[in-house]
Amino acid sequence: MDRIYIDGDEARFEIREIPRLDVYFYNGNVIEDVEPRRLFPVSGGNKYVTLLDKDNKERAVIRDVSRLIPESRKIVEKCLEEYYMIPRILRMVDRTEKFGILKWTVETERGIVTFTIQNRHSDIKIFYDGRVLVRDSNDNRYEIPDYRKLDRTSQNLLGYDL
Amino acid sequence: MEQQNFLKNKTIPKTIEEQLAPRMHDDDKLLFVIVCDLTAKANYGVSALAVTRTRYIAVDEELDGGVLEGNIGDIENASVKRMYGNSQLRITKKDGTKEIPLRFTYSVATLCDMAASFLNAVSGGEDIDEQIGIVEATYEKLLCVCPRCGRRLLRPGAECINCASKGKIVKKLMKYVKPEAPRLIICLILSALSTFLALIPPYITKHLVDEILPERNSRQLIVVVVILGCSYLIGVTVNIIRNYVLRVSSDRMIKALRNDVYRHAQMLPMKFYDKTSTGSVINRISGDTATINGFVLRLSQDVIVQFFMLVGIILIMFFMDWKLTLLSLAPVPLVVLGAKWFGRKIAPFYRRIWRRWAAVTSVLTDSIPCIRVVKSFTGEKRAVKRFEKYNEEWYNVDIQSARITTAFPAIISFVITCGSLLIWAVGGHWVIAGAGISAGLLVSFISYTTMFYGPVNFFAYLNDSYQQALASVERVFDILDAEPEVSVASHETLPEIKGKIEFKNVNFSFDRTKKVLSDINLTIEPGDIVGIVGTTGSGKTTLINLLMRFYDNYEGEILIDGKNIRDLDLEYYRGQIGYVQQEAMLFRDTVFNNIAYSKPDASVEEVIHAADVANAHEFIARQPDGYDTMLGERGIGLSGGEKQRISIARAVLKNPSVMIFDEATASVDSETENLIQEAIERLISGRTTIMIAHRLSTLRKANKIIVVDQGKIIENGSHEELMALQGKYYRLVEIQSMSEKVRASKEQENFD
Repeated sequence: MDRIYIDGDEARFEIREIPRLDVYFYNGNVIEDVEPRRLFPVSGGNKYVTLLDKDNKERAVIRDVSRLIPESRKIVEKCLEEYYMIPRILRMVDRTEKFGILKWTVETERGIVTFTIQNRHSDIKIFYDGRVLVRDSNDNRYEIPDYRKLDRTSQNLLGYDL
Repeated sequence: MEQQNFLKNKTIPKTIEEQLAPRMHDDDKLLFVIVCDLTAKANYGVSALAVTRTRYIAVDEELDGGVLEGNIGDIENASVKRMYGNSQLRITKKDGTKEIPLRFTYSVATLCDMAASFLNAVSGGEDIDEQIGIVEATYEKLLCVCPRCGRRLLRPGAECINCASKGKIVKKLMKYVKPEAPRLIICLILSALSTFLALIPPYITKHLVDEILPERNSRQLIVVVVILGCSYLIGVTVNIIRNYVLRVSSDRMIKALRNDVYRHAQMLPMKFYDKTSTGSVINRISGDTATINGFVLRLSQDVIVQFFMLVGIILIMFFMDWKLTLLSLAPVPLVVLGAKWFGRKIAPFYRRIWRRWAAVTSVLTDSIPCIRVVKSFTGEKRAVKRFEKYNEEWYNVDIQSARITTAFPAIISFVITCGSLLIWAVGGHWVIAGAGISAGLLVSFISYTTMFYGPVNFFAYLNDSYQQALASVERVFDILDAEPEVSVASHETLPEIKGKIEFKNVNFSFDRTKKVLSDINLTIEPGDIVGIVGTTGSGKTTLINLLMRFYDNYEGEILIDGKNIRDLDLEYYRGQIGYVQQEAMLFRDTVFNNIAYSKPDASVEEVIHAADVANAHEFIARQPDGYDTMLGERGIGLSGGEKQRISIARAVLKNPSVMIFDEATASVDSETENLIQEAIERLISGRTTIMIAHRLSTLRKANKIIVVDQGKIIENGSHEELMALQGKYYRLVEIQSMSEKVRASKEQENFD
């Protein structure tokens, strides 16, 4: 089955109703009312973004959002930003533990939030570049871009769980 | 607003309350409020949705004007758009306008799902009071945290072990301690004796150094050495006896506790297992009971012994010299605080080591069982590289932790030694200066000081083991306190079951939030062969689960020969039904015992006959160990079809009045399917039979077919009637006959 890949300037994106958009190809083809979703939300960021129609069928794949024409890039990024909420943890405010359940209070770029982590082994993932992905007991996600770059207190608090 | 009785998920913040209060009317009762955690622009903050009988009001400072209000009657559709890490409540109105009144994280997504369903149902004209029942059930389900301490509970309404009175916990555990009381008391007495004996040698040392050695009294020296030897010998003997008696009572306690937990686990209803993984139940029976037992022993023995030891040593030390005693107590705070600090410091290291070790074992558990895949894709070198990488990481972390784990105990022991040095220095000075302290007293004192730190360490770590044990207590008592299956108590039976089954207005939902079965009305006559078809998740198996009485909390009635199944003795009732599942579940036992499981007193010939009827005898006879073949052992891997035939033989032996097959041939090839089908046909003759089938060809013998869709019976009749109807069944048959043709031709191709 042939997959339509969008590489860069062969298509223009227009917002429909966030996070949905239309794609106009310069060869005259049009894909209407699709929603961009990351194929690799954990590891790949804005590379390989699929466009799904209302029936969740893939219509095309953007190879790299950063290579789209600037207006289109902004539109796609806006849709992705609306859809994906993975707050970046800037600072650890507090950390407690009782009966094996962790309670973290953190400062993110979206404000301060407190959440619990059920299983420190499966819900905290550490990558080799210092990136940490956290899943709370309600399945919300958080990210620490590089835990080694956090302040001393945060690193000390994280030291219990990483 | 405060006076009204409405549902809420948490305390309503003042800012929200100020916005809501002026919008409340006496004639429009507030039903529920959902306090959310995100603002419209996806920042953390407070927002809320309040729903009254006629209106919805969203409060969020990032909305235009801070409030969005509308009439429920104007809603065309309300839905929750689940995104990644956040969701939105979206409303489309009848005039075509759209609005997004609420954004929230997954923490409140279930409540908002419920709110959307509520808004749709009420705007669609459904009974508001019936809908409120669903709202209440959803809120109740979410009350999974302790209202006092906020701790997450194992299930809604479960008792919080953190807030439960400690007396209550002890009382529960006493049930297992009481029968062992005589043995435990003996152990305590022996412990006291052993402690007393341990305190003697340092005291004698004093006389040895002060009197016997300076006086060069050889006779007394021999007497003292003999006394010391005897005290050691008696001490060892006492300890051997004590340890044996303690082991006996410990084993008896753990045996009783495990038996109780296992017995309760067997009697628990299926709804318990729906919410608790079987692995977790197994862990509770094996691991948690051992942790509790260890802690009970610690409490009933060590706490008392260590306490008396501590008090005894301090008293003796004070009796010998109070000034030196105070001096020797000086490092105690340092040791206690150090032990606490060490505990906190070392825990992350252990976790890190555990994490790295888990990564190493994950490579092992992935690659060794899948060695065929590894080899077939020439992945050996990659597997080795991956293993070495993870092993290297484990090594690095272990080395890091080694610095602290090896250094700390040495430092603590150094602190204790420093305490002794202090006593040597000060005490020695007093001895030399002749300040009333003898050399013997000093030596004896030093011995007591060293012994003193054993109980100190014990009490420093006691709280940690208490916390650990408490978590185990909670998990074990979750099983022991859970309600067993309801009507085990009823003993009513029927003289003979003919097999007439009736479902009358049956409605069922697992948690009251979503109906899984609605308005099921069905009559099955004795001897009927009924096929149940429908897509995955349509409610076919749930229908069977109710008939099997795995769940009793349904509305309506299910009758067998006119008798409500809930009024029948559960053991008797289930004994009348033969149940063959899609996955044949066989025990790690012989083939014979696996078949005879349904009738433990079956004769050999009955078992062979059952195997024969199930088309299983021939392949069993081909096994070197025949009916003695142990299942699950190396090399004895039966195929899916063979396992299924053994489970059918089990059902044959039971000779039930009603037979149920839940997709019994779903995972076997056509030839095996024919063998199983043949066995089934022999088995079902003259019995009421219900067959759930994914493959419609297996229903060729059915005289009645029921089509289930979204929890409702949508078609009911014979194959011919349903084909003539050209409805859902017709479409399923059409699709399957096409795929069957493809499958048959593929099998033929493979065969050629």
